[in-house]
Amino acid sequence: MNSHRKGTPSARFTTYIDFEERPIDVPEETNVDEEKIEPHLLPGEIMIARANNVLKFAPLKANRTGISGTLFVTNFKVSFVTSLPVETKERDMHSRSLQNRFLGVHDVCLSEVDMVNQFSEDSAKKKRLLYNTQMPPRLSGLQLVLKSLRVINFSFKFTPTGEDIRVAQALLHHAFPTSIDHLFLSCGYAPSSPGIPDFCRPADWEHELQRTRCPNWRVSKHNEFFNLCASLPTVLVVPRDLLDAQLEQAAQHFQGTRPPVWCWGTPAGAALVRMAQISPSITDKQQENRMMGLVHRCHPMRLQPKIFDLDQILPSLKEIQISYIKLRELHTPDDPTQFWEQDRHYFSRLESSRWLSHVSKCLEVAQNAATAILHQNSSVILQDASGCDLSAVISSLVQLLLDPHVRTIRGFHCLIQKEWVALGHPFTKRLGHTRNQVEEQSPVWLLFLDCVYQVSLQHHTALEFTSEYLVALWHAAHCSLHSSFMFNSVSAKYSASDVLQRENPQQPIYLRPVWSWWAENKSIIENEQNGSDEEPLDCKTSAREAFLNVHYIQKLFKSLAISGAVRRISDPLSSAYHTWQHIDCLMGETRQLPYDPATPIVPLQLDGSLRLDTSLSNLRPWLNCFCAWLSEPAMLTLNDSESLLKDSSPASHHWSHIHEMYNTMKDLLSQNLTNGAAQ
Amino acid sequence: MAARGQRSAKRRSGCFLVMFSGVKPDKRSKVKGITQLGSRSSSSSSHSSNSNTTRSNSSSGSGGSSSSSSNNKGGGCKSHSGSSSGSSSGSGSPPAGTPPHTQMASHESLNSESKSSSLNSKLGHESGGSPSPPKSACSSTSTTSTDHHHTNHQVSHVLTATSKMTVRDGSRTLRPDEPPLVPGEQLEGTAREVTYLCPYVGPKKGTLSVTNYRLIFRSPETDPPFELEVPLGVVSRIEKVGGANTSRGENSYGIEIFCKDIRNLRFAHKQNDSQYSMHLKRDMHISVFRRYRVRHNFAGYGASQTSEENHSRRMVTEKLLQYAFPASHKLPFFAFGYNEQYQERGWSVYEPIAELKRQGLPTESWRITRINEQYELCETYPAVWAVPAAASDNDLRNVAAFRSRGRIPVLSWIHPESQATITRCAQPLVGVSGKRSRDDEAYIQHIMDANAQSHKIFIMDARPSVNAVANKAKGGGYESEDAYQNAEVQFLDIHNIHVMRESLRKLQEVCYPHIDNSHWLSNLEATHWLDHIRCVLSGALRIADKVESHKTSVVVHCSDGWDRTAQLTALSMLMLDGYYRTIPGFAVLLEKEWLSFGHKFAQRVGHGDDRHQDADRSPVFLQFVDCVWQILKQFPHAFQFTEDMLITILDHLYSCLFGTFLYNSERERIEKEVKTKTVSLWSLILSNKADFENPLYSANTKHHVLFPRTSMRHLCLWDKYYCRWNPSMRQQEPVHIRYKELLHVKEQLEKHVDELRKELAARQTHDSPRVASAIV
Repeated sequence: MNSHRKGTPSARFTTYIDFEERPIDVPEETNVDEEKIEPHLLPGEIMIARANNVLKFAPLKANRTGISGTLFVTNFKVSFVTSLPVETKERDMHSRSLQNRFLGVHDVCLSEVDMVNQFSEDSAKKKRLLYNTQMPPRLSGLQLVLKSLRVINFSFKFTPTGEDIRVAQALLHHAFPTSIDHLFLSCGYAPSSPGIPDFCRPADWEHELQRTRCPNWRVSKHNEFFNLCASLPTVLVVPRDLLDAQLEQAAQHFQGTRPPVWCWGTPAGAALVRMAQISPSITDKQQENRMMGLVHRCHPMRLQPKIFDLDQILPSLKEIQISYIKLRELHTPDDPTQFWEQDRHYFSRLESSRWLSHVSKCLEVAQNAATAILHQNSSVILQDASGCDLSAVISSLVQLLLDPHVRTIRGFHCLIQKEWVALGHPFTKRLGHTRNQVEEQSPVWLLFLDCVYQVSLQHHTALEFTSEYLVALWHAAHCSLHSSFMFNSVSAKYSASDVLQRENPQQPIYLRPVWSWWAENKSIIENEQNGSDEEPLDCKTSAREAFLNVHYIQKLFKSLAISGAVRRISDPLSSAYHTWQHIDCLMGETRQLPYDPATPIVPLQLDGSLRLDTSLSNLRPWLNCFCAWLSEPAMLTLNDSESLLKDSSPASHHWSHIHEMYNTMKDLLSQNLTNGAAQ
Repeated sequence: MAARGQRSAKRRSGCFLVMFSGVKPDKRSKVKGITQLGSRSSSSSSHSSNSNTTRSNSSSGSGGSSSSSSNNKGGGCKSHSGSSSGSSSGSGSPPAGTPPHTQMASHESLNSESKSSSLNSKLGHESGGSPSPPKSACSSTSTTSTDHHHTNHQVSHVLTATSKMTVRDGSRTLRPDEPPLVPGEQLEGTAREVTYLCPYVGPKKGTLSVTNYRLIFRSPETDPPFELEVPLGVVSRIEKVGGANTSRGENSYGIEIFCKDIRNLRFAHKQNDSQYSMHLKRDMHISVFRRYRVRHNFAGYGASQTSEENHSRRMVTEKLLQYAFPASHKLPFFAFGYNEQYQERGWSVYEPIAELKRQGLPTESWRITRINEQYELCETYPAVWAVPAAASDNDLRNVAAFRSRGRIPVLSWIHPESQATITRCAQPLVGVSGKRSRDDEAYIQHIMDANAQSHKIFIMDARPSVNAVANKAKGGGYESEDAYQNAEVQFLDIHNIHVMRESLRKLQEVCYPHIDNSHWLSNLEATHWLDHIRCVLSGALRIADKVESHKTSVVVHCSDGWDRTAQLTALSMLMLDGYYRTIPGFAVLLEKEWLSFGHKFAQRVGHGDDRHQDADRSPVFLQFVDCVWQILKQFPHAFQFTEDMLITILDHLYSCLFGTFLYNSERERIEKEVKTKTVSLWSLILSNKADFENPLYSANTKHHVLFPRTSMRHLCLWDKYYCRWNPSMRQQEPVHIRYKELLHVKEQLEKHVDELRKELAARQTHDSPRVASAIV
């Protein structure tokens, strides 16, 4: 093989044009009885179609290596089964994904599929396949463009006739369902408890009110049967002086009958309120004014609230979607030629997508709102059309900037659970989980994650999680087994769950929140399929190290390094004790959640806001996310030579020292303890 | 004089080094603060680098903030230290009055001042350009502006003061406006009531002094004083600003200094009304007046007044011109007067023979020759060459006749295992008629034969093929594959020096002084600077790949073989050989590939020359250093040095403080006795190695080859260099600084744990039960 490459070094650069004509450099599988290959199925998962002898290509490999295997489509995933070794890149990405508990390295969840393109025999051009497209008699290949900006090519060159079409049809039918409950949402295994409140119970909101010590607001259970508003949870926080009857009356005037709700506040009384626009059919602004008046009266100092009309100052959902499509084009090239062509103008193309400028605007607005709350102590009302899109972005960012708790992993989970899941960001519509809502697609979620990424860039030590984790959260939003990001609202989740239960009365239905990943130690599927003998636990360690911000832990250690702190570490009243508990949760051997859910959450302490530089020149394109799957097409001959240095992240250096510090401390503490016990 | 000598020994050089950021973790905040202020940071002489700062630390600790102002008055302690170290993620400056150490050890005793603003301190600490906290210490200063740069500015001055205090304790007190000088430096003139128009913090009124090495501007308006120091070597041109028509407004009349390090400085002179009217009386005709005025602006604004004040102004400007452009005034470079003593002797870092021996020469196939000892065969080449053993001296002479300027293929690097080589040369003199030289062809064949692993040789022509063809008209050209058996010619598409110069000019427009945020990325792209970087990098990558992966020898040339060729060979050697990624190794690489092989530093940089439009100037070396930085960024473990060293090298490329980059070739440097009469930049760097060391470096990467990614999206603008004057540009805090801090924390922690253990053990022997229960 080597000699072949060497003999015709220049030939490699010439044959990109035709998918069919690519010199195929295929390692052969040996001694495999094709019929015996089966995908690993979860309980309730059904195999729908299979195609043998399929070649899988990484699209930008200049040497065109494909691997052969069998392609399956189930009602959950596209599964490629091969006995050949996995590429390092794919394995890395897999180990750092939140769905690696139930998806194998070569598996792709159906809801991840964004576009399906076909390569047919007679033409070299690719053509998009929709769920209702007439199939050609024979496919030479399929290209999957995934929502994670990944491209996978399959070639059916050696596939028995008929199997190619069957696989394609099954894929198109099941990847773009008409209704959310057609997706594979539950898999028979009970998820571990994530230890995160789901903000659907009164206690969760009361807790939040207590934690923030924000006065004059109360919990209302008036939405108990979603009779008031379908996009809100059964419990909401409203001004103390507002009677439930008035709430109901007011709700009618807002879009989606969604009344304004409290989502966060400060002990000084500044509240953060999310509000929908007045229904277009209603001209009377009386109810809106009345609600604002109530927010005003809630403030202990009667300060006028600040209203941010996000529809006016931020890009529309449509604009965000247009930017995203440009971004997708820029990051899913078909071949090296296109890659290099795009690369030449990468910066101007990125700029003309306007994505970064949207990010910049969101950050700026969030910054202004945070300043209003912190420095002017005024309440902030965030108003957008339906009250559940851009207001979620800004509200979450404001809390990230102001509330140190939100910058921890647990706090961040709570934030997302509260602002996005419970308060009903319509994930189904915005991420296009079903086929009917193309018009309403808009990756607001990605926009938010990108904003958080910029925060993490500008404040290395502020967040407990890394940008890798944000990438994982983006990818996790496209896996149907993560219930957190699948539904339009809590009520939609309940009704989907009801439908599933009715269909399978015998089977328990488990909807799995994405946060369960942290509590799970073992993969649901065995790792047998890739022949890798990797320990699942190792895999978890590496993922945790990728997700935990080493500099944040370093900051914790720093506070212990102050003289005297070590001495106080065993005194439960000292801050050193809590810091140590925190470190122990993050690094300890139990390695469950980043925190013990039993520990009470400390009350909100505003320690000053994170200041952001929101000018465009200080923002960076999120290459980790956009180019997560896009490796530079090799210009070189030998990629895996041992003498090459892989660009490893400097974090590993940091980690080894952090571990040493942890062990030193632990050692010390255990010595003290044993001494004490011996006495 | 004795005092001065003593003082100078403490200092390092007078150069505008970057501050070796985060030398010790707890100094970081200070560094941060200083960085913010683009304008002053520029400046210069880092004499205080590290050890000084270290000292400073302890004293600042005891001194506390209150003493800072008195200290400044005492004056001369300058702290350029900080200059440009753009560390600073949280580049916000700590609040006024909080000495850096309090910042860091926030849990420890906060003094009352900092307590009052502790909330803000957090703010400032976490964030860039924070809108200013109410500042107790600063409020007494003259400015009332609320502009936040401004505040930062002031704030950072407080910090500056703190470090100042420490830098020169023990040295004599200078008059407030008398700057401390580096050894050999002399004050040449001073002008008072000059206004520095800082693009970021607004005008500052103060005193402008000129020495034979740099210009120093000090403004006492703020407390501590605002300072700006610029070695005159960076000055590219000096222009007058404002004529009769335009100079009515305040600050509209003065000079503008254009610098080679991506910034311009504007100084304005007070408009003297009497002076103004006197002109009017004398020349009623306005256009005559205009011409007159313009001329005088240049010579020393307002020369008609005979007051001492104006006299000194004129003198200062004259001195400025004189010492900024010594070559044009037949004066020696300041490097010849600079007589700092360093522990290490930088001139001995590179010995050509020793370096060739390190590479394993001589071998069966390669020999070392001194044929060019007198620089007769090729005057721009070094005295010592390594050439194929199969080629006789006579062959060399014949080949030299066929290569442009006699620059024949000479060994740059040989692979320790495969014996594949990188050789460099100038273009063959093919010409329109397609001339051939049997000797040259045989010579290339010898180079190929010297490597038994491959039956092929690559000739990498750095130019775009169009340019290579066009060069035939001028007698040059490229090797035809028909004439050179087994050779494959590849063009690397790197543009010429004029294109690069233009690209940098555009880049400067985009970066300085202000950035247009809405079009930042497309403007950046339109400069094509990164595009050129990409071309150079991928060219070097291709060479490294051929040598490493194909085990094939490569001959590299462009037109003359001293610009693009030097970039390519040096970069590919850097990728292939870990030795060059160490501090002394990098010095050797520059001395060998750039200096000894005759990159025309004097021409390209225009040292001391006032012809700023000279077409021979070009940022070729800067571009190379930028490429090194891009690799360093992708492989943070693989380099023994940090980007601070690169910035220091670039700063001294222009400063003329050291002899290293003076003149065009080894021969000229020998003639001018540079080695005996000047100090080498490597003396500074090797004597302060600790400041440049990368804590992340792992020595086992030495045996690795680096293949950096060269797609545009993985390159980025080196903002710590190009945007360093702009305080609003948030520079990423380099990871190595955080790493240093981590090591420090670890050390602290281990110390505490150790203490505790000892204590425990001690008490246990006496009274164990109580102790145990107390601690557990």
